[in-house]
Amino acid sequence: MKPALRWLLWLWMSVVMTAAVLWAPLVQGFAGRMGDAPQTSRIVFFHVPLAIVSFLAFWAAAAWSLIYLWKRRPKDDRRAHAAVEVGLLFCTLATVTGAVWSRVQWGAYWNWDPRQTSIALALLFYGAYLSLRGAIEDPEVRARLSAAYAALGTVVAPFLFFILPRMASFSLHPKPGTSRMDAPIFWLMMAGMAGFTALFFWMHAVRCRILALDAEDVV
Amino acid sequence: MNQDGTLWLAAVNLIIWTGLFLYLLSLEKKIGRKEKDR
Repeated sequence: MKPALRWLLWLWMSVVMTAAVLWAPLVQGFAGRMGDAPQTSRIVFFHVPLAIVSFLAFWAAAAWSLIYLWKRRPKDDRRAHAAVEVGLLFCTLATVTGAVWSRVQWGAYWNWDPRQTSIALALLFYGAYLSLRGAIEDPEVRARLSAAYAALGTVVAPFLFFILPRMASFSLHPKPGTSRMDAPIFWLMMAGMAGFTALFFWMHAVRCRILALDAEDVV
Repeated sequence: MNQDGTLWLAAVNLIIWTGLFLYLLSLEKKIGRKEKDR
């Protein structure tokens, strides 16, 4: 990422974060149920973009894994590895912010809601990817097997993030398309999504360079 | 949460975000130096 773009990202996210807390209206449908803590509905500006960007990260990892299996270039394996690592960080933050919100909204940090269950399964699935990488010493075998595993993400990630939560007959989360969202909330959330996506790609690029340096050390 | 509370929340958000941003910048500089050494 070019230096000017980095500072633009800093400014962009600073404006988004400040607007989310000081300017955006409270999220309707949540604020009313939060008793004496309606301001906690503002966590939606962090929780939703983090969850969606973690899905994009896992899908990107699957795409890079498929490219690795096709072309066998080590840099594609490193890209997939870095995408899973940064994606897991975003997914963990989405889970934590969701749990905090759940405590205020539904009375407990964890309710085994379908979306909570599916994000826990995603954390386990991609945590297992890192365990798999750690368990194999030969770099080529490790890259090949972990690419085959992560390529499953083309199906597993959409299933866990979009299909499984919709299959359940009951969910504490609002059903997609049913919750009313005011325009300022929607556009601020989109701005946050763009910022978090750019942050993901920056962190991913940094992690790829570190992995490349590590690979040279091993050789 | 009163007005002071939201101001504090905004300030803490900005401090954490700026800290992460500066950490990433310094990490990139370190990586750049190591890449030049190779």
